[in-house]
Amino acid sequence: MPVAASESLIHVSIQAETLFTIGPLHVTNSMAGAILASAILLVAFWIYLRRPAMVPGRFQSALELPIEWLAGIVAGSTSRWRSYVALVIGLFLMILVANWLGLLPGVGTIGLARHTQAGTELVPFVRPASADLNFTLGLALITFVVFVWWGVRLHGPLGYLKELAGEPRYMAPLMFPIHLISELSRLVSLSMRLFGNVFAGEVLLATMLALTTAVVFVLPLAFFVPAVFLGLELLFGFVQALVFALLTMAYITLAIAEQRGGHQDDAHSPPAPEGAPAHG
Amino acid sequence: MNSNLAAGLAMIGAIGPGIGLGIGFSKAMEALGRNPEASGTIFVPYILGLALTEAIGIYCFVVSLILIFTK
Repeated sequence: MPVAASESLIHVSIQAETLFTIGPLHVTNSMAGAILASAILLVAFWIYLRRPAMVPGRFQSALELPIEWLAGIVAGSTSRWRSYVALVIGLFLMILVANWLGLLPGVGTIGLARHTQAGTELVPFVRPASADLNFTLGLALITFVVFVWWGVRLHGPLGYLKELAGEPRYMAPLMFPIHLISELSRLVSLSMRLFGNVFAGEVLLATMLALTTAVVFVLPLAFFVPAVFLGLELLFGFVQALVFALLTMAYITLAIAEQRGGHQDDAHSPPAPEGAPAHG
Repeated sequence: MNSNLAAGLAMIGAIGPGIGLGIGFSKAMEALGRNPEASGTIFVPYILGLALTEAIGIYCFVVSLILIFTK
């Protein structure tokens, strides 16, 4: 009996459940999570922009601190950092809010009961957006388009293809597919890493809850053990958001910095853009 | 039943990233011990390196999750 009970407690589905459909568009609960996360960010910054104070209060510092800190890191990457710093910070804040939203009580647990022939299952109203591959793949596609666009913009389309073909020209038939795959694998690894981590966190929390509630004799365990893992998930959510933002920065930096090896830019530009504006 | 076994076998691949993460972390701690002021400089490449290493383990994990949870 405890086995059956714990099996019914761990209900995890890789697919996001459809809440309702508008024409061909299936509105899933992870879309609700993503919209909720962006709404939280929009409202927070709307309140912030209504009266930004010269001496920041507690709320204002909470918004400004991550932005200033990330801008300091991005400013150390290349001299063109101003044109992509907003993307990096935006990705970081969006993923951070989406990750932490999934840890709130009620997200993933409050929903509609849907009756199928297999039995009754819960369809939550809100599912953490990053636990859906569509969301992370969408963000990774943005990153992918941006760093390919930087490469094409700085080298020209032909120069970009030459960059993919590699240095000794006779090796091009071998190196071109390898470079192409390595560019595409960045897309896969970016999306899979975020999805895997957040989804693993969901499964971990569900498993811990099921394990500790299955042992009815030591009831307080069910309160303390998942709490420890919730704290761990707070840390992981932050680290994964940071990793996604920093990898975006690193890929764009790679696409830009390859150009510094060329010769038309070095003559009249300052030699080291890394060190100077490091305190953004 | 077979897919559960396959999911368990897929996680064998997590051995490699485990060793890699250990090496990366120990080297970062060594560097911090030698030069504590460099912690700010080390932090970003360290996080990036760990993320890239960890991705391999995550691939295995995603494969096994797909094997378990998709019918």
